[in-house]
Amino acid sequence: MLKYILLRSLLALAVAFTVSLAAFFLLNVATDPAQAIAGEDATQEVVDMIRARYGLDQPLPVRYFEWLGGVLRGDFGESYYWHKPVAELVAERAGVTITLALAALSVTILIAIPLGALAALNPNSWIDRMALGVAVSAQAVPNFWLGLIMIILFAVMIPIFPVSGDDTWRHFVLPAFVLGASSVPAIMRLTRTGLIEVMGADYIRTARSKGFRGGALLRRHALRNALLPVISVLAVQLGQKFGGSVITESIFAINGLGRLALESILGADIPTVQMLIFVFAIVFVAMNLLADIINAILDPRIRIG
Amino acid sequence: MNYFIKRALAPTILAAALTATPALAQKSDDTLRVALAEEILNLDYNYTTKREYIILAQMTDTTLFDLDPTTQEFKPAVATGYEYADDTTIDVSLRDDVKFHDGSTLSAEDVAYTYNWIIREDSESNAGGTVGRWLDKAEVTGPNTVRFHLKSVYPLVLRDMAQRIMLRKVGSYDAGGTIDRDAMAQHLIGTGPYKVTSFEPGQELVLERFEDFFGEKPAIQKIVVRNIPDVGTQQAEMMSGGIDWMFKVPLDLAESLGATPLATHLSGPDLRIAFIVLDAAGYTDADGPLTNVKVRQAINHALNKAEMAKYLIGGSAEAIHTACHPAQFGCDQSVQDYPYDPEAAKALLAEAGFADGFPLELWAYRDKPVAEAVSADLTAVGIDVNLRYVKLESLNQARAAQDIPAYIGTWGSGGTADTAAIARIHFADDTDRNLSGDAALATEVLAAEQTSDQNERAKIYTNALTTIADQAYWAPLFTYSANYLVSPDLEFPLDPDGLPRLQNSSWK
Repeated sequence: MLKYILLRSLLALAVAFTVSLAAFFLLNVATDPAQAIAGEDATQEVVDMIRARYGLDQPLPVRYFEWLGGVLRGDFGESYYWHKPVAELVAERAGVTITLALAALSVTILIAIPLGALAALNPNSWIDRMALGVAVSAQAVPNFWLGLIMIILFAVMIPIFPVSGDDTWRHFVLPAFVLGASSVPAIMRLTRTGLIEVMGADYIRTARSKGFRGGALLRRHALRNALLPVISVLAVQLGQKFGGSVITESIFAINGLGRLALESILGADIPTVQMLIFVFAIVFVAMNLLADIINAILDPRIRIG
Repeated sequence: MNYFIKRALAPTILAAALTATPALAQKSDDTLRVALAEEILNLDYNYTTKREYIILAQMTDTTLFDLDPTTQEFKPAVATGYEYADDTTIDVSLRDDVKFHDGSTLSAEDVAYTYNWIIREDSESNAGGTVGRWLDKAEVTGPNTVRFHLKSVYPLVLRDMAQRIMLRKVGSYDAGGTIDRDAMAQHLIGTGPYKVTSFEPGQELVLERFEDFFGEKPAIQKIVVRNIPDVGTQQAEMMSGGIDWMFKVPLDLAESLGATPLATHLSGPDLRIAFIVLDAAGYTDADGPLTNVKVRQAINHALNKAEMAKYLIGGSAEAIHTACHPAQFGCDQSVQDYPYDPEAAKALLAEAGFADGFPLELWAYRDKPVAEAVSADLTAVGIDVNLRYVKLESLNQARAAQDIPAYIGTWGSGGTADTAAIARIHFADDTDRNLSGDAALATEVLAAEQTSDQNERAKIYTNALTTIADQAYWAPLFTYSANYLVSPDLEFPLDPDGLPRLQNSSWK
């Protein structure tokens, strides 16, 4: 197991560096950071001054290897815009994104699992169809659209939540719902399929013969096995929430890593984008690893390595 | 993304606007809440350039002179007056009652320090390039007088003093001999009508009226500036009473929400203009069609710029026929106009030997509908347009390599209502934006910056603009307009130079 974790960790690092290399060259080809910092009407003189100030006049390979050398020494560089170490910037913003991601995952669990269970217990009924309808709709709706609709409904027409910001728990309700909704279809369908399969198993028939029915049967016998694949997918979904928070955080003006990523990309703040991609890649691979480990713990038949 | 959002949500927003509770403006606690999409990270305008920072600097800082946006005259601010000792020496006298936000009094040493700091190479100030072009040094000559030694005659000294240099205390950037260019970025000590009481970069800036401000005190006690990146979210905040002011609003959204009781739509002028620059010099093709003045004039005749201004930009946008904004000093409107006349365009093309048209690569980087309208108009007179819609950076690179036959450009003149702010950057011989290849014109444009006589300057610009129009080096298109949504309780005056001055707001 330890060897497996070490191998996957190395893989995570390799993925992070590969992605950062691609991002570095793509960003530099697609944008001119000096122009982006200076603004549309800046004179060439100002643009050149900024280029020299940040070392952007150096050849791309030189700049990449300088960045890489810094990373290996634990120095991710300084943001062009914020004028502070990128690591510090990311650390400041991470808390908000972690809070949002966990809240979104809670929303997913609270909606998807009961809905999936309901659908599984009433297969091919109108309840099942309705649950599937909700899942398909949630999958079809883009985050930015759902976000603005939620704002209009619950912050403007019925003003029970604030429109934007991240000061109180109330600020997280709408964004958590929006971010969480996108994962509902996957989890709901997985729960439904898993439960339908489990409900037909011999040990469930045995449990029924012992007098277990309804909620008790579901809780004590069916869900534990049906949710095995769900738990691992949830871990992956948590990783996706970090990347998925880019749009949601921007819509709700939440100062987390997602908004930082979007603004850094638009502003060609390459050191910040580099570190964020690094962080997102590591989190994503780590969550996949966690999913495998959880599966192994929950189901001793699974052996990894 | 916003393009799709606003179209997808426009009916919903309207429906919500009709059913929503009227916005609770912040009039009750005398707090003006402002939304900006651009993240505010640095409060020191000496180290920034973008428009949002100019808006903030006007509230937190003062300069030696003020530019009256209506009369275009420079009025005393921190300075009480100035006098030219000779063509390259200016004596500026100062008020003795100007306070910094920390309570200390501004001195002549502070003024000299600020200017000398800006031109130091190691200051790396964004204003350094502009000011370093004309300032040799600033010298304290008395308790309230500073002498400015110029490198050469420079008529825009007052403009730069009024708009580019924010005054700082001695040692602000190099206390104890250690250079700290970000010293004022987050902990600003200015002299403006508002002082910073809290600042969370990228999130929120809180300003309070500075009671010791030497000038006219603003009407509103407190201004809260929030960074809200998405225009849809800004609108929702406006509808729910979370903000009182937003700008850079797309016209259709401004009109739809402005038609409800929740917000007022204001449309004001903007100094930004749009134009097409033509490779008259033949950098891309020495004998190409664009080197022929008749072809360039035909292009001018082919463009229905009035309809572009009206339908694609809207608000107060207007068609122009000069290589400058009509509100700018020296922008003589009597120069040659080429009214929309496709038949005249075709005739000119035929005269030039291009009766069957010619292929034209047209570059553009913003306002795609405008670029498409221009392409359609040119195609209608027989020019085979290949539209290359690219990012600004790509356009800049191609232009620097003299690889662009024609491009749609825009210029905001940094909010400066003077033809100098657009002429030099586009027609001097040291700029790659100059595709005219006209050395005499380049000399003329620079000559306008070598005299302090405003009448003489105006005359020079008339000559230069006449040449540009006669030779059709450009095809001027239109002025832009600025759209605002404000709380119905807010009185927000619009100035002719298009710069939003929040410090002049008041409650109705």
